[in-house]
Amino acid sequence: MEEGYTSLPTSHLLGSVPAAVAEESTKGAASESSSANLQIFPPANGGYQAPGSPYGGDDQAANSWRGVCSISSYTPYFNVDTDIVVGRFISSVYPMNDFTGKIDVNPDLYGPIWISTTLVFMLAALGNCATYLMRKRNEPDTMWTFDVTYVNWAACIIYGYALAVPVAFYFLLRYFGCNASLIRLWCMWGYSLFIFVPSSLLLIAPVEIFRWIIIILAGAASSWFVALNLKSYIEGSDLMVLIVSALLLQFVLALFIKIFFFV
Amino acid sequence: MSYGGAAPLHQSSQSDIDEIENLINDSVRFGPATILPARPPSSPRASIPVSSSPFVPSALHPLPSSNKKPLPHFAVPSFSAGPSPQGIATDGLGPPTNTLTEPIWDTVKRDLTRIATNLRLVVFPNPNREDPGKALRDWDLWGPFFFIVFLGLVLSWSASVKKSEVFAVAFAVLAAGAIILTLNVLLLGGHIIFFQSLSLLGYCLFPLDIGALICLLGSNVIIKMMVVLVTFSWSSWAAYPFMSTAVSSRRKALALYPVFLMYISIGCLIIAVD
Repeated sequence: MEEGYTSLPTSHLLGSVPAAVAEESTKGAASESSSANLQIFPPANGGYQAPGSPYGGDDQAANSWRGVCSISSYTPYFNVDTDIVVGRFISSVYPMNDFTGKIDVNPDLYGPIWISTTLVFMLAALGNCATYLMRKRNEPDTMWTFDVTYVNWAACIIYGYALAVPVAFYFLLRYFGCNASLIRLWCMWGYSLFIFVPSSLLLIAPVEIFRWIIIILAGAASSWFVALNLKSYIEGSDLMVLIVSALLLQFVLALFIKIFFFV
Repeated sequence: MSYGGAAPLHQSSQSDIDEIENLINDSVRFGPATILPARPPSSPRASIPVSSSPFVPSALHPLPSSNKKPLPHFAVPSFSAGPSPQGIATDGLGPPTNTLTEPIWDTVKRDLTRIATNLRLVVFPNPNREDPGKALRDWDLWGPFFFIVFLGLVLSWSASVKKSEVFAVAFAVLAAGAIILTLNVLLLGGHIIFFQSLSLLGYCLFPLDIGALICLLGSNVIIKMMVVLVTFSWSSWAAYPFMSTAVSSRRKALALYPVFLMYISIGCLIIAVD
């Protein structure tokens, strides 16, 4: 009976048996971080890898996880200085710069969170302002009151978009076999919303054609940013459908902002 | 009774046990007719340290040693007659005070005095502003609570439609905002005490409260904008030293920007409701 078992070609699957270590070290170059980890099974590249491990920086962040409620688990994602953040803002406005390369080692969540929050307040405040100016210009007799539900709508839309769309793309990318890191996707989508902050300032002007030009330009720049970075992120795999859908989604968001808030 | 032989009790639980003992002893010794003297304003209370503050040694460390001060700083002065667990001497003025049996007016007066003191320290110019440890050692949450609710109420009164939504938005933004701002500083690697920061951000709302009240009474948009501008700068000036010293200097702007964002949004809300 034992002969039957030992004849099974499974010896390469044993990760913790010392006899297999020599075998592992020959393949070590491809999976140097996983060879020491006895929990990776099988140790050879059988197709399973921890999420985000091709980008080595995630290992350190994953290891310092101390539970959902501990602040120190999240501190690695806020490890940025003012000048780094400002640099990322600027490179998000020019789609030509390689944003993905910049955030590869140190993705941060400070940018996405505070850009979304700023955008929520700006849309609510400036949307009301713009509606007031438009109303005053076109129908000077109607009463205008401050519509506080703009805050609710802005919060739902912006936070929902910035949270849900990267998650959806993360699952889609994993389904299609690419290695994706959720943090980097959140980071990129968050910074892509930055261009709407100054453009919403410009959208106050009560000239309708001017508003449309501004939002189309901003939407185009933002969508192009998302598409370019997504493409360089999933380097190589031919998933044009995903890229085009990301581009369209961003553009739809831009149009929605104009239509809902800056009537 | 000192239970120091077993696992040492926390100071506050030891003080609670002492307080209950004193109460029992009081009622036995003095009978129901005694009025215990009022307590003086309380001392620095046990802050809940999230992380240690390297530049506020005076705020955190004296806690164990302040027990030894002769004046009844804590709620537990020990009895000279009974077993004295921590060696706190009474002030010699008679039976020790108990916050459980003092008149309500004394409690309210003490809390109001503390609110006024904290307000003076935080919002008005005083020589201790640059030291964040001294600024709000005796933090409390009553003051911030009053200011937030007052601001929500004033905004709600000012609004002509959807009053309850206005109150809800103002209250939610301020309450959640204070918590999120504190978490932001902690995540950026700063050193602050969570509740002290909540308390400070609440106290810094006081100028905006005044601004909202003035805007409630007046109606011209230009005047409203001037008033809000002045009170917003006052609030930001009050919050600036605390927040900027809490994080490293390279990240100062990252910690301060959300504070300005919150105050600006409340300022816009004040201008806009009419």
